[in-house]
Amino acid sequence: MTITVPMTYSVEAWDPSYGTTFATEEQDGLAGSEAELEVDIEVPADRWRAVSPRPGVKHPQTVLFVDGVRRVDARIWISQPERVDDLDDGVALGLCASYASGVTLCQHTAAGNTARVVGSQIRRGLFTTAVTASTIDAPGGNYHAHITDADPATPLPQLLSAELQQRLADLEVVTAVAARDQLAPSQQEGDLLVVDGPLRGRQHLPRTLGYIKTHHSRYLEVEQNRLVAQLEPGQRTPVFRMGTNWKRFSWYLRLPYREGAPWAGIVRVECSADLAAAEAVELAYLSQAVLVRYASSEIKDPRAPQNLYPIAGLEKELRRRLGNPQILHRSLRTRRPR
Amino acid sequence: MSDAVGLVVGTEDSTPLKFHVAVAPDAYLQLDDVVVTQRLIPGVGPVMTSGIVTEVRSRHEGASFGSDVFLIADGVLPAQVQEIAEITTTRVDPEVYVPPRPGEPVRRAQGEERARALYFDQMDKKVPVGLGRDGQPVYLNLEFLNGVRGAHVSISGISGVATKTSFALWLMHSIFRSGVLGGGGRNSKALVFSVKGEDLLFLDKTNVRLDDDLRADYAGLGLPAVPFESVGFFAPPTPQDPTGRPHVTGRTSGVCAFWWTLAEFCADGLLPYVFADVEDERNQYTMVVHNVATRLKFEAQAAGVDGAVTIEGKTVRTYEALVDFVVEKLSDDSTRGTWAGPAIGQGTANAFIRRLISSVRPLREILRGDLQKSDERVVSTEGQQITVVDLHNLQERGQRFVVGVVLAAETRRKEASGTGSLLFTMIDELNKYAPREGNSPIKDTLLDIAERGRSLGIILIGAQQTASEVERRIISNSSIKVVGRLDPAEASRPEYGFLPPSQRQRATLAKPGTMFVTQPEIPVPLAVEFPFPAWATRLSECIPGDLVALPAPASGGTSTAPAPSVFTRLPPTFEDDEPPF
Repeated sequence: MTITVPMTYSVEAWDPSYGTTFATEEQDGLAGSEAELEVDIEVPADRWRAVSPRPGVKHPQTVLFVDGVRRVDARIWISQPERVDDLDDGVALGLCASYASGVTLCQHTAAGNTARVVGSQIRRGLFTTAVTASTIDAPGGNYHAHITDADPATPLPQLLSAELQQRLADLEVVTAVAARDQLAPSQQEGDLLVVDGPLRGRQHLPRTLGYIKTHHSRYLEVEQNRLVAQLEPGQRTPVFRMGTNWKRFSWYLRLPYREGAPWAGIVRVECSADLAAAEAVELAYLSQAVLVRYASSEIKDPRAPQNLYPIAGLEKELRRRLGNPQILHRSLRTRRPR
Repeated sequence: MSDAVGLVVGTEDSTPLKFHVAVAPDAYLQLDDVVVTQRLIPGVGPVMTSGIVTEVRSRHEGASFGSDVFLIADGVLPAQVQEIAEITTTRVDPEVYVPPRPGEPVRRAQGEERARALYFDQMDKKVPVGLGRDGQPVYLNLEFLNGVRGAHVSISGISGVATKTSFALWLMHSIFRSGVLGGGGRNSKALVFSVKGEDLLFLDKTNVRLDDDLRADYAGLGLPAVPFESVGFFAPPTPQDPTGRPHVTGRTSGVCAFWWTLAEFCADGLLPYVFADVEDERNQYTMVVHNVATRLKFEAQAAGVDGAVTIEGKTVRTYEALVDFVVEKLSDDSTRGTWAGPAIGQGTANAFIRRLISSVRPLREILRGDLQKSDERVVSTEGQQITVVDLHNLQERGQRFVVGVVLAAETRRKEASGTGSLLFTMIDELNKYAPREGNSPIKDTLLDIAERGRSLGIILIGAQQTASEVERRIISNSSIKVVGRLDPAEASRPEYGFLPPSQRQRATLAKPGTMFVTQPEIPVPLAVEFPFPAWATRLSECIPGDLVALPAPASGGTSTAPAPSVFTRLPPTFEDDEPPF
């Protein structure tokens, strides 16, 4: 369907970070769930103990870290004259968002150590339920319209935000695959891909770890959960499997951290449940060797040590490449047809 | 544009006079590189902004802490190295002063563009002054040297490593031999006062280190690699020598002894040149100086042809005797009124006497009435193109006397002969002759040259360690300012305000043979390297056998070091022995 009539909209005056003036508070997409749990993957449940790093695990020459950032540049109200009689006063909410994904390629070879940002991609989108929505011109990339069907069960801002998150996740897969494809075949052999956040939708990528910094749910039983707080830096829990409609192998790992709360420095790492259990355990040992190296220091990062240096650097770079929000906000205001 | 070395950056203010360039990853810019950028302006057309790199810096983008460099080197934190060059504009052509816009490509200026950037295309008569960092010639505009639009050169730098004298001689070689002087070149002269050793007594000898590489360097600048051709050397007479042989050790032939006869001293009124602060009005005794000088002028009669004088019936043959005579007249109450002037007290007369007596030792070798008449004793620029006056065996007071008297005579001669030709006057240690504080006849002469010499055709090439200690009007009248290596404390003085901060800092570590040259047309000083002298700058650099009656090196007062290898030349280093400047 091609819409030729110029779309009309107005821009919400509040800064997007304050939320909208009327809508309910935006919720994080990750709601807790009572997942099924299998803890005797690596060792029987009654013999759970902290697993120390295994000596001799080789650090891969190439490690890729994938991450994405998103930013709502403006909330707009799109006029829908033909639906004036409907509930929503003839206007529909739209999110003008910029999102980007990129890869930090860390290479540790005899020729030297390098870390660089490769294959970053920036997108801008207009997320709305208004069928009249069309692309908005903006400097450095137009806002392409992504029209979502309204769902009465979900609050509208949450629906749009989830749609944005889905687009970003798709983009992350694209950049991760592209970055891997650009590597020389010899480098692809033993590489490791670390995805910031859960693996959702990315289980099919080989040699891939999901890296979860924040813990919204308690997955383990009380006895096992106690072990997490007792982990020494570098140690991890045994591998367990969990999930309902989605399944993952997962384990908790404590990164080097000087002091703090019982769960300070704890991250959850997951990999695809399609792997054999032995392969998952190998990946778990590999994660102990790799992730600790990139853990950030608390004097440099407010989210230390979980916010890994390559990901922090990548996010900083991606946020910069999203463009200046003031200029984008201004262009949305000034370029709209009156 | 494939030859672009980078783009104008947008994170720093771009102005018509200064802008910054982000250097492309596979390119580089170094200090003194000449670059050009172009901006298309509606209704005007392309505007070329040319400039010189005055600073380059490199830093990690994406790093927040100094310690991030370790993470970056470890391949943990992603970051990028970026070099930013600061460009100081030299020329905007046509003159539409608009800033270069961020994102516009910047390229290295070469050939015609480089000449335009540095205004060489506007110079009718170009004097090569050395090679720029890019290996291409750098020129001076002769019109700022020969008095048409400006004159005088001021050279500053630390003694020993700044190569001030070498540069001044190189500049004269370039002026005389590049052909820019045209028909007037043959009559143009140079007068060089040498105060440091006998280094300048070998200007007409080929340097033993002159090789094909050096010849190629000279040829690249369009100059012959030859020593000076027409040079006359003057040195004071040897002390206690009745024949008046020149007081030199390294070179025994072709050097003339110079002195003034007592008859000249009295008749020409040279007495004021004996005193350093004779024009200082705070001093009482200065009136006595002028009265005595007048008295001598009228009373002294030449006795014979050798320069002795008869005053009031007494024949005086030496300066010592002349001083004794004057002292006697002033000490005697009956004659003091006539010689010192009316109402001069004993104290004032004694002040004069003290200063007069202390002048005997420095001046008795060059004020003579006891030597045989000689036609070659008069320092004059008439017989040759370059006249070197060796002063290093004289005490400071004697040096001042010679410089003052010779300059005054040459100024008078130039005034009489008109401006058809040029006289380049090279004076080292200018701060000694024209200090910032005080007054003296020599300073008056030098100030006269600095302010009026341009129209007379007298060009002052002054060298000094510290421009801050030289009379301000002399420095400000110099069109061409040259700086070699500077003392860090000296470099921060306002006299060097023409140097941008980065060059000021660089001047404190300039190598021998590197000079920063400022000329009025180019708003930024240019760093140049000038070739090693093709002429010998010391006895050991002369080709053996080139000097007639060359004395054994061991007996010479100059360097006794063995001659360095033929292949070591400047800009490399000078040895630690006596430097040639």
